[in-house]
Amino acid sequence: MPERITVALTLNGARRSFEVAPGRRLLDLVREDAGLIGAKEGCGAGECGACMVLLDGAPVTSCLVLAASADGHEVVTVEGLARGGALHPFQEAMVTHGGVQCGFCTPGIAVTGAAVLARGGDAADRTRLLAGNLCRCTGYAKVMEALDDAAAKETADAPA
Amino acid sequence: MPRPDRQPPGGHAVPDPGSRTTDPGPLGGRHERPDARAKVAGSTRYVGDLALPGMLHAAAAVAPVASARVAALDTAAARAVDGVEAVLTAAEIPGANLVGVIFPDQPLLVTDRVRMVGDRLALVAARTQEAAWQAARLVKATLEPIPAVHDPVVALAPGGPLVHDGGNLVRTFQVVRGAAGRRRADVVVEALYHVGGQEHAYLEPQGCLAIPEGRSRITIIASCQCPFYVQQAVARVLGLPLAAVRVEQAPTGGGFGGKEDYPSEPAACAAVLAFATGRPVHFVLPREMDMQGSTKRHAMVIRHRWGADRDGRLRFAEVDAVLDAGAYAGISTVVAERANVSAIGPYDVPSVRVTTRIAYTNNLFGGAFRGFGAPQVTWAAEATVDRLARAAGLDPLEFRRRNLLDDRRRRICTGQLLRRPVLTRECLDRAAALAGWDEFHARPRAADAPTREGMGIALALYGCNLHHGGQRLDRSSAVVILQADGSVVVRVGLTEIGQGNLAACQTIAAQALGVDPAAVQVWQPDTTTVADSGPTVASRGAHASGMAILDAVRRLRTRLDPVAAELLGCRREQVELAAGRAQVAGAPDRSVAVAEVAATMSARRIEAIATGWYRSKPRRFDPATGAGEPYEFYAVACHVARVAVDRELGVVRVEEVSAAHDVGRVIHRDALEGQIQGGVVQGAGWATTERLALDHGRLVNPSFTDYLIPTSADAPKVNIAIVESDGAGGPFGAKGVGEPALIPAAAAVRNAVVEALGVEIDTLPLTPPAIVAALGDAHPFAWVAMEEEHEHASPETVAPGR
Repeated sequence: MPERITVALTLNGARRSFEVAPGRRLLDLVREDAGLIGAKEGCGAGECGACMVLLDGAPVTSCLVLAASADGHEVVTVEGLARGGALHPFQEAMVTHGGVQCGFCTPGIAVTGAAVLARGGDAADRTRLLAGNLCRCTGYAKVMEALDDAAAKETADAPA
Repeated sequence: MPRPDRQPPGGHAVPDPGSRTTDPGPLGGRHERPDARAKVAGSTRYVGDLALPGMLHAAAAVAPVASARVAALDTAAARAVDGVEAVLTAAEIPGANLVGVIFPDQPLLVTDRVRMVGDRLALVAARTQEAAWQAARLVKATLEPIPAVHDPVVALAPGGPLVHDGGNLVRTFQVVRGAAGRRRADVVVEALYHVGGQEHAYLEPQGCLAIPEGRSRITIIASCQCPFYVQQAVARVLGLPLAAVRVEQAPTGGGFGGKEDYPSEPAACAAVLAFATGRPVHFVLPREMDMQGSTKRHAMVIRHRWGADRDGRLRFAEVDAVLDAGAYAGISTVVAERANVSAIGPYDVPSVRVTTRIAYTNNLFGGAFRGFGAPQVTWAAEATVDRLARAAGLDPLEFRRRNLLDDRRRRICTGQLLRRPVLTRECLDRAAALAGWDEFHARPRAADAPTREGMGIALALYGCNLHHGGQRLDRSSAVVILQADGSVVVRVGLTEIGQGNLAACQTIAAQALGVDPAAVQVWQPDTTTVADSGPTVASRGAHASGMAILDAVRRLRTRLDPVAAELLGCRREQVELAAGRAQVAGAPDRSVAVAEVAATMSARRIEAIATGWYRSKPRRFDPATGAGEPYEFYAVACHVARVAVDRELGVVRVEEVSAAHDVGRVIHRDALEGQIQGGVVQGAGWATTERLALDHGRLVNPSFTDYLIPTSADAPKVNIAIVESDGAGGPFGAKGVGEPALIPAAAAVRNAVVEALGVEIDTLPLTPPAIVAALGDAHPFAWVAMEEEHEHASPETVAPGR
């Protein structure tokens, strides 16, 4: 087994290459090698969702993904959700709806929420899809309000 | 689309620097929380996101058993691990080997005796986290098992194993009121409640960074609620004066009480390692270590004997509560003080006998947790009140209405007279109306359906701020600095832990200075910028910091107003501040921007910094009899829960909780609602799924897979009724809400489940085995519950190590 392996991926839209140990987690690559500290380690076991990133558009708990398996793929972290310098509509809705409290779960929720919006679906779908992100502060009400609001706006903005 | 009541009329949403009308200010509005934007962008740096050149990582070697004598400790293998820089035992602690907050019963590192699973034996600092934990696991402890006790009631019986040499009874509290009224009771209810503990499950694990300056002083950056507690703990273990220990609160990812007392321990560990190595030491606990080692909500065993007359009036209440402190007293006495005086709820009872005893056991030790003993005793009290209502043949609402304290009956069980208005009836009526209590109960429900619905109610009378016993800590410090451009720096000693204290302090300062909230920057506490402000606990954050901010603004205005008066050509008494301007009272068209006043002050070198101070007024209270004024003023909360119970599977689903809260005055509406929604859901989780599974004192479910907190798919819908008033309160009349938001929730859920199933359930949480057990032997899965029963154990000897 080689000491280091090369992981070439698209990270928040930019082509990047990293030399990592074979056992390195995608979470460590993102946080320590790329310096993107938005993804948080809340449990290290794929249970809490605080480390959520998008892998080819799908939300994954990056603490359970080997960095090497992201080779050749596209990774988007919370830092990559902004569109043209502005927060993602769901992030903006989280701010205006008071969905942010301690903030530790928030980046993971922003990432999952962005994927949920891209996927479409109704309010019940959104509630179910966000169940992989634990939050202990908000009781989820304002988070779901923000997500519903962002979904309504996306529908309204979509071309007929 | 504008949100309803997003802004008060004429609010600050669209800043209008030329406004000539009196602005109502941001109070009670929904302006953007100052910390929200950075947090949602992922750019807020928590302690785990910090790194320094040369930084080492800490780990702790801990005991795997709950009770043992330490025969030998061998650190050779640990020291040999590549990357290890230091392995320390108790002998190498420069100051006192002590972390007990109130009682000197807990060492930082054990030397001779292990009293709970997770007791620290040695500390490691290494160049990587992996090396540190690998070395910690290689510390060889020879532990000779000694008998342990895991049941708090057994611990208090004579002849059992002693956790500490002085005996297992830590302290006893009592409330004694009125003559024995038992003869006049027509209905008497007796019950024994087993109320389980709870894990805080803040999403950010405990962590800190210790940065030494030689061996003369140190900076600690910590995820914590109480930087002054951390300061004291670190000063003690290092043998330093308080002034040589600087504690800066890092953005903190949730606390709920779990970051009140406990963060002193990892901070003390990191500090000792930092002094030994001369390098920065990072100590972030892995989730399993965090859950296994940190404090928990106290489990309690509560025996009731309550009586009412045939008119449904409570005649007497006897409560005998035992609180499981675990292996160390920690702050158990303070928790017991609140539990003791909260045990009767918001009811008028002529004869009261409450005894609250604290027992040492070899379980994980209890600490602060949102509600501080009140949720446990409220769970029991509201269960008994429902029992009595059923026995008296009265609707639970009607029974409560006949017994609630109110504006005419204002004397609580300690003899204290509540200040008007006493909003129990308003809260009950508002919560019941939101829940559709009458409609729900008028609707026919199928008696044989597999899923049963129920609705339950519970109330709490919450003593705001610190109990008399902790009043010496009830003070607070603030600093307000008016910058030359009119923006404002505010520093306070109470922390933002997600509850919204930054938003509350910003709102209070902006309201007092008549400026836009966006002009005010509140910075996280640092022990070198403000005086010891006590702990961020007891729902006192907005109260204690807000009162100190108001005092600081008052002092600042003694220098600001004369300058404004000169610019306006009026007397200083005529100066008013509103909408970002100083104006002449009664003539708002004569005004000048606060920024211009600030620039003038700066140009003239006028002192633009002011300190503020708050301390609560002295109160009388007799700890021996529980007579007097335990708290300064009170808040009422009423929750109504609607549940659906799958009778066969025993699964409880909390569908909806309607919460009415007497808050005095709203400071920040989104933060307030967030506190209520989060508190209710945390209470609903405790009620139903959050079971601390202890096996010989060891937590066997220290993960989010095995310890179940509510997800978005589990959380009930929360309806909120806010009751405002001009009664007693803190800044602008506001009362605390963080804890009342949780306290009655689990009790309302319990009463709803009992209504749904038609059987009493006296253990918390209401997990499937507990539900099945309550339904009796006839249930096909009754044997599951029988096995669970055996976990309530009698004295046991400790299990051999892993």
